[in-house]
Amino acid sequence: MSDLKNEFDQPLKGNSLGADAWRRLRKNRMAFISFFIVVFYVLVSLFAPILPIYSYTAQDLDHQNLPPSFQTADAVMVNQEIKKIEKKMKRDERTEMTADEKAQIEEFREYVANEKVVVDGKEINPNKKRYLFGTDDLGRDMLARVIYGGQISIAIGFVGTLTAVLIGILVGAVAGYIGGKLDFYLMRLVDILYGMPYIFIVIIILALFGGNIMALFFALSFVSWLTTSRVVRGQVISLKNSLFVEAARSMGASSGRIILQHLLPNSMGIIIVFATLQIPSFIMQESFLSFLGLGISAPFASWGSLISDGVGGMTSYPWRLFFPAMAMTIFLFAMNFLGDGLRDAFDPQSKNEL
Amino acid sequence: MKRYLLKSFLGMILTLFITITLTFFIVRAAPGGPFDRERVLPPAVQANIEAKYHLNDPLIKQYIDYMTDIIFRFDLGDSFTYNDHDVNYYIATSLPHSMLLGFISLTLATVMGVGVGIISALKQNRWPDYTAMSVAVIGISVPLFVIGPLLMYVLALKLKWLPTSGWINGRNGWVTLIMPVITLSFPYFARIARLGRASVLEVLKSDYIRTARAKGLSSAVIVFKHVLKGSLLPVVSYLGPAFAAIMTGSVVVEQIFRVPGMGTYFVKSALNRDYTLLMGAMIVYSIILIVMNFLVDVLYSVLDPRVSYE
Amino acid sequence: MKKVLLFVLITATMVSFYSCNKSSEAPEAKAATPKEPVEFIINNGAEPESLDPNKIEGVPEHRIYMALFEGLVAYDPKSGRAVPGMAESWDITNGGKTYTFHLRDAVWSDGVKITAQTFVDSWLRECNPETASPYSWFPAMFIEGADAYVNGEAGPEAVNIKAVDDKTFQINLVGPLPYVIDALAHYAFAVVPIHAIEKYGDDWIKPENFVSNGPFVLEEWLPRQQLSVVPNEKYWDRKSVKLDRVIYLSNDDNNTAHNMYLNGEADWNVTVPLDQMDAVQDEPWYVNAPYLGTYYYIIENKTAPFDDVRVRKALTLAIDRETIVKKITKGGQIPAYSMVPDMDGYPVLDDPKSHNFAKDVETAKKLLADAGYAGGAGFPDDVVILYNTSEAHKKIAEFIQEQWKQNLGINVTLQNMEWATYLQQRREHNFTVARAGWIGDYPDPNTFLDMFLAPESLDGAWGGNDGRYDNPKYDALIEKAATMEAGAARFSTLKEAEKYFITEDQGVLPIYFYTSNNLIDMDKWGGWYPNVMDNHPPKTIYLK
Repeated sequence: MSDLKNEFDQPLKGNSLGADAWRRLRKNRMAFISFFIVVFYVLVSLFAPILPIYSYTAQDLDHQNLPPSFQTADAVMVNQEIKKIEKKMKRDERTEMTADEKAQIEEFREYVANEKVVVDGKEINPNKKRYLFGTDDLGRDMLARVIYGGQISIAIGFVGTLTAVLIGILVGAVAGYIGGKLDFYLMRLVDILYGMPYIFIVIIILALFGGNIMALFFALSFVSWLTTSRVVRGQVISLKNSLFVEAARSMGASSGRIILQHLLPNSMGIIIVFATLQIPSFIMQESFLSFLGLGISAPFASWGSLISDGVGGMTSYPWRLFFPAMAMTIFLFAMNFLGDGLRDAFDPQSKNEL
Repeated sequence: MKRYLLKSFLGMILTLFITITLTFFIVRAAPGGPFDRERVLPPAVQANIEAKYHLNDPLIKQYIDYMTDIIFRFDLGDSFTYNDHDVNYYIATSLPHSMLLGFISLTLATVMGVGVGIISALKQNRWPDYTAMSVAVIGISVPLFVIGPLLMYVLALKLKWLPTSGWINGRNGWVTLIMPVITLSFPYFARIARLGRASVLEVLKSDYIRTARAKGLSSAVIVFKHVLKGSLLPVVSYLGPAFAAIMTGSVVVEQIFRVPGMGTYFVKSALNRDYTLLMGAMIVYSIILIVMNFLVDVLYSVLDPRVSYE
Repeated sequence: MKKVLLFVLITATMVSFYSCNKSSEAPEAKAATPKEPVEFIINNGAEPESLDPNKIEGVPEHRIYMALFEGLVAYDPKSGRAVPGMAESWDITNGGKTYTFHLRDAVWSDGVKITAQTFVDSWLRECNPETASPYSWFPAMFIEGADAYVNGEAGPEAVNIKAVDDKTFQINLVGPLPYVIDALAHYAFAVVPIHAIEKYGDDWIKPENFVSNGPFVLEEWLPRQQLSVVPNEKYWDRKSVKLDRVIYLSNDDNNTAHNMYLNGEADWNVTVPLDQMDAVQDEPWYVNAPYLGTYYYIIENKTAPFDDVRVRKALTLAIDRETIVKKITKGGQIPAYSMVPDMDGYPVLDDPKSHNFAKDVETAKKLLADAGYAGGAGFPDDVVILYNTSEAHKKIAEFIQEQWKQNLGINVTLQNMEWATYLQQRREHNFTVARAGWIGDYPDPNTFLDMFLAPESLDGAWGGNDGRYDNPKYDALIEKAATMEAGAARFSTLKEAEKYFITEDQGVLPIYFYTSNNLIDMDKWGGWYPNVMDNHPPKTIYLK
């Protein structure tokens, strides 16, 4: 496609920038796969309420800490009982179950297979559920919790990152480009904000605004833009004396135009990387804020809270850590490669790649 | 240049002063006080304790006393939680541990991160790039409080290669450094690698590299002489704040591996409303941060001839 | 070049710092003694806040206190109750109001004699407003005149304690308080080395200045790492002390502590992480014992709809406590329907065995309907369960939320807060339902009841009565019991008060009675016994 463009990157054919970018994105296999993964995550989160999954709050203490399985809960529970007895046999150094134990298992099997509870006037067996991701310590379906947790974490990741990056770009670009006194004062402000006791700020936000979602976003964005602004500023400072900026300036372009059209596009790679670096820290920070009373209140969950709940039981109930961590890592993988892919796709100079 | 230095120095002092002042009042605005307990103390006992720590003085007097102590005697005051030693003692006994751990971790992370970043960029969208970036994404997305216990489980409990926790001046010695260093440097490594890769890509397509290539310089020369220098800028911007953060310790790593560093004080003393200890820690952090950000600004002009502060 | 210089500089600083610290590694150097010294390593929880008995207030500090100091009485390792310590014996006269202690010949670890005057000076230091001891209210509760001195209304001469002669120490109480002997083992009644404190001031707690009178002396204290003690050669009962060194590890992370125990890096763990409960359940080194404490929910008694006792009753009956202790806390806790845990001569008011949960739920539904909220209809939807940040609190709150929803049709929300904010919300009665816990200070029902007095009986403040429980009949009974002599009559008065509090008024919702969960291999270590106070003096511990 490069032959369709001239040296100054002006499209010669009627291809829109978007369509062009889309074509380039498709060529980058990793980015393309990632794109679909992200779309999948977003769709699953959006349609969580109508998906055929169990409630993420419904507890069944008889089903606590069941490992993931395609079998129904009663079969898993019987297996768990057998494992317990096997553990005991190992300690007593025997290889055979006693008749008592066998009877006990049979009785248990009988009981769980025929247990009945009345829900909404209908008699059903609660042990016919299937927990593909296992259950947590209150007997809640991990699959549902991971999906609903994703809903919250993805929203936080996007909204938080967007605000933080926008503020960071604005402050960094203005400080770097204008320079002088303004730069000096803005950067001192950044230094001061770095030095603020974050936990106290959060506690005060909580006291002033209560534990609502806006307060959470405010607390998340409050300091997260600082490093972004310093990085952007560094880029802008180094670019602002480049030839192409000089050229634009000599042609009478306004400061705003130079920043938007020349400086930022040329720093886009770094900005996108920084944005993708921010997402996981937002997702995890939410669980730290809930520790202070600000994040998501139980029984709601987020990936962050599921992961921190799962860590303690990592050896005994690994699935409680594994699934939320996996869900999050895959999402972040996709975001990363998609970010890189987008950067390349929209890069005005990518045709000049060496 | 002298004027620039002097101005920067005055700016740093002023910044620090404002930071301390704001922090002083912010910490006292939070609900709850340092001596609130589940058991309600009789008012007289509560008053005795508050009198001992001068918390019953007018706020402005407390502030002036505090500033006077800091400026004239470098005295950060008494801790409200720990009765037997003052804040200076707790910082002096914890900061060196944090700095040692932080310094090793950050050096490791920077060297590895920059190296991996360059290789990744040079092999963009090929398997070394994908592998390296996958490792980096794991480092970014898996939190410290998962990596730490995982390492401990594998290396200490299963393989029995290392003791679970402890510190170098304990009986297990230097081996106790291994797990905290890996845990702490992994996310920094990951971030630096990502940033490094992106900025190398950015530099590779810039005019002066193209010129260098056109001049027929060898790849190695280009990479080490031009690309490396030019692409360090974003990494350096990132390293300023990161250095301050890592040198003052990480509460997660310290608690998991029982490292007697300073990071714990940021969280614990905030939760205890131990105003003085928290402020002491914040002041140390601010000083390091302000100095580092200044050095970063200076480094810009060293790394990139286009940058000037005139 | 500059970077290299910086690197060299920092490395040099580090190296010099650690080489200065080398001297503190003495324990390893000493390991060359012919017989392997017996060390006992304790995962002691948080970093000790102080070693000065007049300044401490936490459990980790108390464990260290038991090694370093000994008051008039010490703790019996089996029962956790008081046994003779510095006092060999005592006489009780004046209707139970005067105690005369006969001290044994004892010296501080530096050889200075401990006399009755040392006790007088120590207790006055505790009560001195300038010391500002957080526990100074404790002696003020017992000793005649101490209250006035603590409050600054009178000088030290007002405190009615005296040294009759070098070896006779006499105290006069505000009343015939029956539980005083057990209380005297508390660190608020410690004897402290006045001579060393006068000499070194605040520095007396440093290892090189430290003087103590207990079975051990301080050897080394590395902040946030460990504190070690070695036997006190001058201790009057030196021959009973078997351990050669006790090490108290500071450890903020329960999971790390657990891993350390599993890996053989610690000999005694004082807690078990919730998620490890299943795994340790059948292990011989898991020791579980009743503990003098109650986990409960407080209700704001003066806020509608909780000002209606039927609502409070309905809420308490709709909680399946059996499931909480079996499936959530898993540490052998005992379901609680009343406030005071089981004690000698004071059985629990409302036996959990008498409860049938299915029936309780029926009663709860009826009560709620009587109160005007049949099936939860019309019940306010802004009810919040407030709890401070903790894994266990969260799980219990989630469970109770679901229970109330299923059994009563009530929807409540959950709100967790960090400790200080949570406390402030409670203090300002700015909550509807909040979790609470109480550990007894001394083995007597009074410690679980006297915090629910109303302001009329409590200097006009709500004190620790955050749920604003208010019943004059209850207050009258508690105050009556405070002046009664020990015995069955006093206990039945307290029981009557508890009946008003729980059976009549349901002032709080008790959930369970605590248990202590320790990890220690009792086949390896002797002299360590489970007890209701969870007090385990290191003096008697030995390697089997």
